[in-house]
Amino acid sequence: MTMTSHIETKNLSRHYRRASHTVQALDNVSVSVGKGEYLSIVGSSGSGKTTLLNLLAGLDTPTSGSVDFDGASLSSFSRRQLAAYRAYKIGMIFQSFNLISHYTALQNVETALYFNNTLPAERRRLAMETLERLGLGDRIGHRPADLSGGEQQRVAVARAIIKKPEILFADEPTGNLDYDNANHIASLMRELNSEGLTIILVTHNLELAQQESQRVIRMQYGHVAADVQTSGAGARPV
Amino acid sequence: MTFRDLVVISGGNLRRMKLRTFLTSAGVLIAIAAFVSMLSFGAGSQQNIERQFNKLGLFTTMQVYEKDNGREDRGRGGREKRDKENKNNGKDADSAVAKLDRDAVERISKIPGVNLAYPYDAFSVEVHIGDTTVESKAQALASVAFQTKIFSTLAYGTAFSSDTSRQVILSESLLKKAGIDSPKTLIGKPIVVMVKVSTIDSGLTHILVDKGESLFDRAKRIHYDSLLNKKYRSTVLRTEANELVKRFVNGFLNARSVIRDTLILCGVRESGERTGRLRVENVIIPIETAQRFKTGGLGGSPMDIMMAFMNGTLFASPEKSGNESFSQITIDFDPKVPYTNIKNAIEAMGYRTFSFAAEFEEIQKVFLYFDMALGLIGFIALVTASLGIVNTMVMSINERRREIGILKSLGAHETDIRALFLVESGVIGFLGTTAGIFFGWTITRIAAAIAKHYMEQEGIPGIDLFALPFWLIGIALAVGIGVSVVAGLYPAARAARVDPVAALRND
Repeated sequence: MTMTSHIETKNLSRHYRRASHTVQALDNVSVSVGKGEYLSIVGSSGSGKTTLLNLLAGLDTPTSGSVDFDGASLSSFSRRQLAAYRAYKIGMIFQSFNLISHYTALQNVETALYFNNTLPAERRRLAMETLERLGLGDRIGHRPADLSGGEQQRVAVARAIIKKPEILFADEPTGNLDYDNANHIASLMRELNSEGLTIILVTHNLELAQQESQRVIRMQYGHVAADVQTSGAGARPV
Repeated sequence: MTFRDLVVISGGNLRRMKLRTFLTSAGVLIAIAAFVSMLSFGAGSQQNIERQFNKLGLFTTMQVYEKDNGREDRGRGGREKRDKENKNNGKDADSAVAKLDRDAVERISKIPGVNLAYPYDAFSVEVHIGDTTVESKAQALASVAFQTKIFSTLAYGTAFSSDTSRQVILSESLLKKAGIDSPKTLIGKPIVVMVKVSTIDSGLTHILVDKGESLFDRAKRIHYDSLLNKKYRSTVLRTEANELVKRFVNGFLNARSVIRDTLILCGVRESGERTGRLRVENVIIPIETAQRFKTGGLGGSPMDIMMAFMNGTLFASPEKSGNESFSQITIDFDPKVPYTNIKNAIEAMGYRTFSFAAEFEEIQKVFLYFDMALGLIGFIALVTASLGIVNTMVMSINERRREIGILKSLGAHETDIRALFLVESGVIGFLGTTAGIFFGWTITRIAAAIAKHYMEQEGIPGIDLFALPFWLIGIALAVGIGVSVVAGLYPAARAARVDPVAALRND
């Protein structure tokens, strides 16, 4: 069975000019991700994983090539359409959580709904619901500094999924977590994927990638070095 | 993102940086306080003038003058110049100038829109109240003038019963000068009014007899043989000519005839008014009754003699009652009629006019420039304060780059980020402006209290020199918030340009 392409890159390149030379962060990468797929991108530092993720999320602009979401090229989007794409279609979680330090857990989660026309009362209700679902019902008034790393990442997950995105981009989500918390986040993502959410995970941890995702891409020097289906827990018939 | 969201988020951010917000707002506060207090002075002065104009009904009052009495022709050589011009035009000097006489009052009264017209006719008098004598100017006034706001308000008593009534109205200031502390008690009491006039007759009489010496006696003292000596002739003639002039002047100035009358004090005015060209004297006598005091000649005041000399009327024969001309006529007109209509109609009759409404328009123009100058000073202070806002916002952006990156990753458009920082600078401006208006108002209250205290010490009725009308509050809010938002434009644009990839990078 062939999965429908949800998001794909075609000959995607991203070069940076650094003084006298050009850095080829990504070079001619073509990847297709199906709806509901759990894809992991692994590779060493500087291999282009995060650059690829930023391009897929519409945060960065490619030097050449394109990113197509549901058949529409992000390059053809206006700045406002790109903002709407991030506000409605995708969620992001980061290694360093990227929570706003002076906001409470509840306010951090609510922030994701500021940009998709959700009414204030509805924002609050959804944020509380999502935090409770992730086991943080008693932490809504806490600021990030008062939460553990695992709790902060769960707040970040809550912020990413509250708007019911179609794709979740996770950049090293377990990189700063201990073993138990990493497992907790991993199982959470597995659960979200099982609900139909497309997940693209960037990680150094090959074991985690193989265990959780259905497919692993290995990046090297800005190229896709390998693209393999896995037989891990996340594996399912493709 | 709604405006409410922007305000809530901005408020939260500013609360987090209390000291910085306070110091930045304090800059705006001081600038706005200066702006408000300075413009408040302008507004207060304008209000006081407008109030005075309204109180006296000056917006519907106009003065009418003869054309040759105009300020453009005033001064040495003016009359000669006009006479020359009139001769060149083939006109006689006297017939060319429309006179301000009783006929003129009648004709002006009939102009559509004119409610009433009355002449200004003043002369010097002595007022005897008890044992005290006070010298003052008296004004002959038609009783209809009491229908106007200028004369209608009396501190005590009533207006004249008619133009021929033997009554008088005095001002509080004159009574104060006479040592009367309770003017009300004098109402209904007799007041002696006296006029001393100098005439040509008395001058000529004194040529015949002066200081007990007759002209014949003087002639006997002349050494006629000196006239035969060429050396002494001119000296003797000059001495005798001087003596004749001295006798005439002595008689003209000192041997004045006295006109005395006893009038009943019917009313007391608050004080004599001199608002620009509006003249209300301390003694007001019914116009027909006043004729008794005006049998010709000049009052004792050196100013009267000087004016008569300048006007060429020093040796003029007394005018018959009913034909005298006035220095000015005051008219009161319907407020619904534009003053320009009345002015044009009167000027077409050959007179010159002075409109208080036009003067107020000029005053307003002056106040506009005055307010603009004061506002500019406040505005400069505000621009200086706005640099503080720019600094605060740029610092804030540098500290919150990651936050901006997070918001962009969550779907914030550049417009949202720009709006967020603009609202933040606007909130700083709003806080500073509202506090500044209050602070400025407090300063004006203190200054007004001090000024009032000093005015009252000087015997001037205390007035509020400052005013804070709604338009000034509105302008202060608009300028304060507007300048703050403009100050936030550059930082906001800078925030909107933050690259989310760079901002979210782990390093």
